[in-house]
Amino acid sequence: MSDITVREKNKKISQAKRVTLIINGEQRNLEIGHLPHQVETTHTLLHTLRETLGLTGTKLTCDNGACGSCTVLMDGKAILSCMTLTVECGGKDITTIEGLKDRDTGALDPLQQSFIDHTAFQCGFCTPGIIMSAKALLNENSTPTEVQVKEALSGNFCRCISHYQVVRAVMAVSEGGA
Amino acid sequence: MNEPYRYIGKATQRNDAVGIVTGTVQYLNDVKFKNLLYAKVLRSPHPHALIKNIDKSKAENLKGVKAILTWENVPDWKGGTPGVTRILGRRLRFVGDVVALIAATSEEIAKEASSLIDVEYEILPAVFDEEEAVKPGAPQLYDEFPGNIVTPGFPIFGPKCLTAIAMGDMDKGFAEAEVIVEGTCGYANIPNPIPPEPPGAVALWEEPSRVTIWVSNQAPHVDRMTLSEIFGHEVEIFTHGHPVGGSFGTKIITWQVQAFATLLSRATGRPVKIIYTKEEHIAAFVLRPSSKMHARVGMKKDGTVTAVSGKWLVGTGHYSMTSQAQLAVGLGEVQIMTRCANWDLQTDIICTNRNASGSVRGFGGQELKCAFIPILSRAMAQLNLDPFEFIKKNYIKPGEGYFWRDGNWYIYRGIDYSEAMDKGAERFGWKEKWRGWLQPSAQKGSLRSGVGVGVHGNADIGEDTSEAYVRLSTEGTVTLITSLTEHGTGQRSNYVKMIGEVLQLPLERIFISASDSVIAPFDFGPVGSRGTYAIGSAAISAAEDAKRQLFQLAAPILGANVEDLETVDGLIFAKGKPEQCIPWIATGHDRTIMGYGRFDPDYTLANCMTTFVEVEVDTETGKVTLQNVVNATDVGQIIDPPGLEGQLNGCLGSSGIDSAIFEETIIDPTTGHILNANLIDYKWRTFSELPEIDNVVLETPISSHRFRAIGVGEVATSPGPSAILMAVSNAIGTWLHEYPVTPERVLAALNKVKSQEHAGGAL
Amino acid sequence: MRSFSHLNARTVSEAIAALVQFDGRARLNAGGTELFGALKDEFLPEYPEAVINIKSIKGLEYIKEEKGHLRIGALTKLSVLSESRLLRERYGALAEAAHAVAGPQIRNVATIGGNLCQDVRCCYYRYPRHIGGPINCARKGNGPCLAVNGDNRNHAIFAGRKCFAVCPSDTAVALALYDAQLVVVGPQGERQIAVRDFYTPIENLLQRTEIVREILIPAVTGTVTQSFSKFALRTPIDFAIVSVASLITLEDGICTDARIVLGAVAHNPHRALEAEEFLRGCRLDVEVSRQAGEFAIREAKPLSKNAFKIQIAKTLVSRAIFGQPAGFVLKGNFSETTSSTQMCSGKH
Repeated sequence: MSDITVREKNKKISQAKRVTLIINGEQRNLEIGHLPHQVETTHTLLHTLRETLGLTGTKLTCDNGACGSCTVLMDGKAILSCMTLTVECGGKDITTIEGLKDRDTGALDPLQQSFIDHTAFQCGFCTPGIIMSAKALLNENSTPTEVQVKEALSGNFCRCISHYQVVRAVMAVSEGGA
Repeated sequence: MNEPYRYIGKATQRNDAVGIVTGTVQYLNDVKFKNLLYAKVLRSPHPHALIKNIDKSKAENLKGVKAILTWENVPDWKGGTPGVTRILGRRLRFVGDVVALIAATSEEIAKEASSLIDVEYEILPAVFDEEEAVKPGAPQLYDEFPGNIVTPGFPIFGPKCLTAIAMGDMDKGFAEAEVIVEGTCGYANIPNPIPPEPPGAVALWEEPSRVTIWVSNQAPHVDRMTLSEIFGHEVEIFTHGHPVGGSFGTKIITWQVQAFATLLSRATGRPVKIIYTKEEHIAAFVLRPSSKMHARVGMKKDGTVTAVSGKWLVGTGHYSMTSQAQLAVGLGEVQIMTRCANWDLQTDIICTNRNASGSVRGFGGQELKCAFIPILSRAMAQLNLDPFEFIKKNYIKPGEGYFWRDGNWYIYRGIDYSEAMDKGAERFGWKEKWRGWLQPSAQKGSLRSGVGVGVHGNADIGEDTSEAYVRLSTEGTVTLITSLTEHGTGQRSNYVKMIGEVLQLPLERIFISASDSVIAPFDFGPVGSRGTYAIGSAAISAAEDAKRQLFQLAAPILGANVEDLETVDGLIFAKGKPEQCIPWIATGHDRTIMGYGRFDPDYTLANCMTTFVEVEVDTETGKVTLQNVVNATDVGQIIDPPGLEGQLNGCLGSSGIDSAIFEETIIDPTTGHILNANLIDYKWRTFSELPEIDNVVLETPISSHRFRAIGVGEVATSPGPSAILMAVSNAIGTWLHEYPVTPERVLAALNKVKSQEHAGGAL
Repeated sequence: MRSFSHLNARTVSEAIAALVQFDGRARLNAGGTELFGALKDEFLPEYPEAVINIKSIKGLEYIKEEKGHLRIGALTKLSVLSESRLLRERYGALAEAAHAVAGPQIRNVATIGGNLCQDVRCCYYRYPRHIGGPINCARKGNGPCLAVNGDNRNHAIFAGRKCFAVCPSDTAVALALYDAQLVVVGPQGERQIAVRDFYTPIENLLQRTEIVREILIPAVTGTVTQSFSKFALRTPIDFAIVSVASLITLEDGICTDARIVLGAVAHNPHRALEAEEFLRGCRLDVEVSRQAGEFAIREAKPLSKNAFKIQIAKTLVSRAIFGQPAGFVLKGNFSETTSSTQMCSGKH
């Protein structure tokens, strides 16, 4: 083992020059560097989405992994973009709130429509994160129970207490067999 | 049966709904600015200190740093009530107080610069406890506030601003009492409403003296007024409001961040953005005031309160902006809840070396009731009175009166809320569940259930002024011009509904202006529960004014009297003759019809929220679980059912009911650091732990405006906390008098743990 | 975050080489949910020069049984552990513990290696730099432990020394129950460290040039019942106030072997040896479980504000041994047939 390690020692790994990922179905090839249009190694995916790519639907609230406002889908699963480095997203497929509309028709996702129909928001700031968490659940389980919906949203902060209307909105889509 | 309406009382889509669910609503931090600089704040490590020396040379040499401001190079602008707190001062009064402001080309550079500033401090003794702060020899925060007692009175409320309740004959009152109790109770956990969107501002200064500020707030005119007092009236101030990512009363005033951005823009000539981190939001913005009450209460067997005397101490932290206002409103509200002829309730607002208290939903009344109801409860218990019956008996009835915030006496002309209370009690099953004081409603193994009830109401539904313009375009569209921002209640959409109802126009043809203090008329904003009655009145009368002007133009064309005209869907016709109609445009395509509406304060109506709660306590672990909540109210007329439901469900969060269960700001008792300034350690309710909530809403027409409706949104949080304390006390059979009811406190009350803590109240 | 170099390691050896290259001034990153909190709040005296991504290492995400052991790759995500059929059937306490961590988004990326190596949650230690901090303390090698005279509601009730912060890892509690070993690799080669011994009052035993590669769990055999329960103010998000994992072997209603581990009460997962000893040979009933609870906390020495944790620990232990845990105890609700309900069935 130590022999291998010694050999590896001389073979220093170098920093990547660019990162390529898919965001809302579109391939993005981002340079890594210090210029304004580039991605710094320290940038979170949240920062890149909002500041570099202008996708401000994903919200910054706690920036510390505790509130779910910055939730996006990575390869279909809900993750926190504030605790994810953009440079570590190579090859990943990211979906943000902006990517839920039908790309061809512009029609809202049934989940989005259900949030409107149930007024499942008040101030609306945490809504994109909540919708993305719910979307991740529905991707895996199209007919969740109410308990499963609550569990899937248990990492999402909502201070207005729109929880009850949110659960109804998600269940309505679930029952619709979306 | 209320009048059948086309929109009022029906669920309609909020006009920002698509934007919210697609992420395209532009909150302040989503707006792009050219040439923008980013601000950061260097904060004090000490709770009380003087700056001896600041060396910013290293930070100034950092590439990208454009300005560093300290107390030495800013104007002598001061905020607070009274204005004694310098925006950047030499004296620092809490851990997190502002030492320096930095503007740089990126947030990271600004942050790095802040760590390169060397500051030498002279550390001063600090005081964190209100009762310690008023003792002789305690560290003094301000020369202007001897004994750390803040100057009483809130100037906007007038020279007679309520600072105490003094009336009747105390000796007579106590002599009439059949039981007298005396005790102290606090609501001193200073919970924080923590909306998701942090406080922030973007400012652009233009020489010689104009500043444009993009704000996240409730009413841009309030920002303009507040800042004008601070910057001086020679500074021209324009404010632009944005949708607010939650406020809960805290963003009525965000002068600190607005002033920071202004100063930095003034120093750099570029737009400067400051957005607080969540840590700053919790540790260095505003908390709920802390409240402690010592009172003596006389009561009769029938639940009549014969006398209340005592002192209410309000802790405001390192300065006060609105605490005097909260105190005045709280004193008014306690009279609405407690019919009593003899009062001697004195107050003090005390400053200490902790982060400031500020405006928060529940605005004084929640703080006072959370301390007062537990004291009243001890008297009720001695008389074996059902607290629900007590509340129903003592809540204000038409014809009774109260001193309101301006110190004037008002006669209440609203409705009797007894019916709503009864319906709520029925829905909750109060009669079945109430087994007497300190009696659990159910038990199973180590689990004990208990019930409690609380009440709150506010005559703020008609407070302050509102103005609105409604502009008709004769092609058949309407624009409401208002300075209001949307802060989550959906009220901007509700005004569209009200105007749609007045003008009988499809909602899709009614637009609403952007929010600003430049063109839009004055509005105090959606504070308290004034949105429906006060602001709604202005919007309705503006729409009516516009309609009248339209009819004056149409009457000659139709050969009819103005009074006989009606309009539906953009057509005008004489009543009963819809076939002889003309479209609005027949009055001319080349004109603007501008209706104006104004609402002046009316303190003779109050709302009411009664909240019933049931908790389950595990006596072996001290865990309190909220099982069931019933809110009961009467709103006159529901404007928007789902919007109302959201507001009422909001009773849990934003430092409402949960401030009795797990929400608290934890401060180190010796260093003054806020130890839970993050969203892991500050506890908030999650989707996994939702109690059942049932809202009982009656619609008894109330003499407010055309739709006979009043607002209740603000007060949803307020009755709950004291109800929880009552419920847990009943569940475990012993009195609790501190918030929140943590496992530690419950187990200590059950003698299952030796508690070293003796803070808080004693009854 | 302040700047750092960033490297993607493709192999364990590359990761070690990079750690060596930066002479300990680099941090490994797996899920990132703990590391970036620390780097954003800058509460530590040192800031890393480099962050080395180890998610790019292939083949460290697995759960497999072989040679009397269960092997779990260090990069296995908590969500995978909590949903693993194998774990739920045979290592239920671990599945429960993994599920009890934080919230769904965190569990989707957080790894078991990261969960075990995470830093403590002490509110003084983690006080953020940008609000007049950071705060020096014993754990930072600079001053006393501030919790002793401060707010210590979440601190240690057992074996406190120098630093009274508790081990925050839920999975460590379950792994200590199984006598699991961490397989750690460094420039000098590979070594094994028992999870129970991994945590000292000031730090964990991982050297700055080492990486956790695998967790090795001796096979759980025979008819045992196991449980993991976590007490916190809220089910999601929160770190434990107290947690308890138990493994009981029963023959004809008599306890022939018992293992009980308490979490969030000490710097390490705390084995309740006296309670275990007491239980051996006992027929389990309410009274026995109550006494076991008393044994479990006999050595506890609370600080000024955390004596309530003793009562909670006692309750959790006795409920783990006998009786239906009440509704408040944190339990995974992903399935009707969790390991904890297995524990409860068959004894009533």
